[in-house]
Amino acid sequence: MVLIPLAFVPPGREVRVAQFAAGLDPLQREQLAAYGLAESRAVTVLQQSPMTVIQSEHVEIALEHAVARQIWVERS
Amino acid sequence: MSAILLLGHPNVGKSVLFHRLTGTYVTVSNYPGTTVEVARAAASFDRARQLLDTPGILTLPARSDDERATVRALLGEEAAVLLQVGDAKNLRRTLTLAALLAELGVPMVLALNMSDEATERGVSLNAAQLAKDLDVPVVETVATAGKGIGALTHALAHARVPAALLRYDAHAEASVCALAERIAAVAPHPRLAARGLAILFLGRDPEVEAWLAERAGSAFRELVHLRGPENAAALARERAQAAEMLARSVTTQAPRRSPLLSQRIGQLVVHRLWGLPVLAAVLYAVYEFVGVFGAGTLVALFEEGLFQGLINPAVTQAVESTITVQWLADLLVGPYGLWTMGMTYALALILPIVGTFFVAFGILEDSGYFARLSVLANRLLATMGLNGRAVLPMVLGLGCVTMATLTTRILYSRRERLISTFLMALAIPCSAQLGVVLGMLGSVSLAATLIWLTSMLSVLVVAGFLAARLVPGRRIALVTELPPLRLPVLGNVLKKTGARLRWYLMEVIPIFLLGTFLMFLLDKAGILPWLIGAGEPLVAGWLGLPKEASAAFVMGFLRRDFGATGLFALGSRLSPLQTVVGMVTITLFVPCIASIMMIAREQGTRVAALMLALIVPTAFLVGGALNAVLRLAWS
Repeated sequence: MVLIPLAFVPPGREVRVAQFAAGLDPLQREQLAAYGLAESRAVTVLQQSPMTVIQSEHVEIALEHAVARQIWVERS
Repeated sequence: MSAILLLGHPNVGKSVLFHRLTGTYVTVSNYPGTTVEVARAAASFDRARQLLDTPGILTLPARSDDERATVRALLGEEAAVLLQVGDAKNLRRTLTLAALLAELGVPMVLALNMSDEATERGVSLNAAQLAKDLDVPVVETVATAGKGIGALTHALAHARVPAALLRYDAHAEASVCALAERIAAVAPHPRLAARGLAILFLGRDPEVEAWLAERAGSAFRELVHLRGPENAAALARERAQAAEMLARSVTTQAPRRSPLLSQRIGQLVVHRLWGLPVLAAVLYAVYEFVGVFGAGTLVALFEEGLFQGLINPAVTQAVESTITVQWLADLLVGPYGLWTMGMTYALALILPIVGTFFVAFGILEDSGYFARLSVLANRLLATMGLNGRAVLPMVLGLGCVTMATLTTRILYSRRERLISTFLMALAIPCSAQLGVVLGMLGSVSLAATLIWLTSMLSVLVVAGFLAARLVPGRRIALVTELPPLRLPVLGNVLKKTGARLRWYLMEVIPIFLLGTFLMFLLDKAGILPWLIGAGEPLVAGWLGLPKEASAAFVMGFLRRDFGATGLFALGSRLSPLQTVVGMVTITLFVPCIASIMMIAREQGTRVAALMLALIVPTAFLVGGALNAVLRLAWS
């Protein structure tokens, strides 16, 4: 399965989180986990500009591209 | 005394619920992360019980200063019951936190708040089943509408120690048990179970670490040794997995429908094209309401109609006929009289402006718009070494810089706190000042307001840009939740406005009176004319203002809005150009005494003094430069 960074997914597409890159800051990884973003979770990309905004279940999360580039996703 | 401790994620409605259960409003505010200290009040259903409201915890073990305050409350307060407040539409997350709280061995009640939003989104949950599984009372509530409060009050009397949600994997479980055993032996907590403390200690919670270090004494090294290099993230992941299983077994999600209207609007306001026009429309509406209606219509009604027309002549006559000592009469009703200047300023000029501002602020706050603003502002704040999260203290700064300085605790690094505190002290006007400034500029022209706005934003960006380069450390990228947009409940907005105004008047009137008294002394002792003369080269020469404006700057040392009001009083004697220059300078000029004291408390006296030493020259430098530029452009 091909993995792409979350930052490259066009708005409207649903994807599944595959893994967090090793370069992701530990504090940010913890925050993402606390917001409910974990491996194998399905997320819908709502927009990519000015920031990446995703919806996971009933939570909308905004993240900077620098962070979204560190999250590998696959098509769900 | 058996206290009830409210706990939960940010923005799940803890403070609103606190208000419903106590009748007390926590004035700080209600968007995510704005309760930064523990608030307490007696429960309205039982005056002998105390309720404690805590800052929201995104991650437990704690990471930011406000989260640490919550853990301190857990460790230090005599809490007999934990009331966890959770988001009903996001049960998995709520239960992830519950999985940790359950290990503390304290009787608990779970309130699933915002259950109306869950229903709207097709989430239905079996609360009775969940209550059985957790072995604690579970109540669905809508705090903003007061639904479920009776049932919650009833449930609080039946709080129970929850059943554990999980057992960790064998390796982690062994560490937890070994640590718990040692903690129970060397540093037992009077209320919290050693197992819960062990889990927090394994997660590297700084407050639990500090508490254990103090209690265990020399045995603390042994605890650290036992902890070893345990992976904190692994424990959190296991809790999340257990929570997910339980959440799935008690909820059903209706098939997906088209997005709700509130979701569509929510996306529109952060849209890359539509976001800015929406922001402009919001700002314009606030300007019309506060600048035109509050500072124009209402002030005219209050000041000219009520005070100058009716009250002040009557008070003056009454004072002059009863008090024969001239200086005493002057102190009350003279040009710098406590009544004619102090109270008239506070009640006729400031109150209508601040009142309308707090109403507008409350509406925006309760709608959830401010959190979305952090997406739009992120790029701008990035140039200042901050991220969109800083929008929260900055916008609150438009309400009160003193409170906002306290709220910078929600930021993650010392660097962010330092930069945002400095920028607020320099270039973010508080509501009182903003009201006076907008009122004055509004009576000149829209162009004047825009020049002022551009100057402020430029100073903010340039100062931020420099600060980001001078303050060591690195910037933290933004990751944030966007709570749904909601229609504000008018009653709640008005109650909050009332609470803020009460607090504001209690703070403002003594300082206004003190300020007026000082002005009176300076005037009687003949120092004021001397000060006006001494300030003349700077104020008249460099800034191009009438020399009487010096007095306004003297007043500005007490409160920023007091200074602006001083210029307001010069009114028609200022040309449009002088008004703009005066407003820009006084907005940048020293923050009020209360906020300087808050900065000193949060950042230390040295930092506060350094900030003042930077801010005062900057204010005059920018004001003078603007004066020169505008004079060139005008001629």
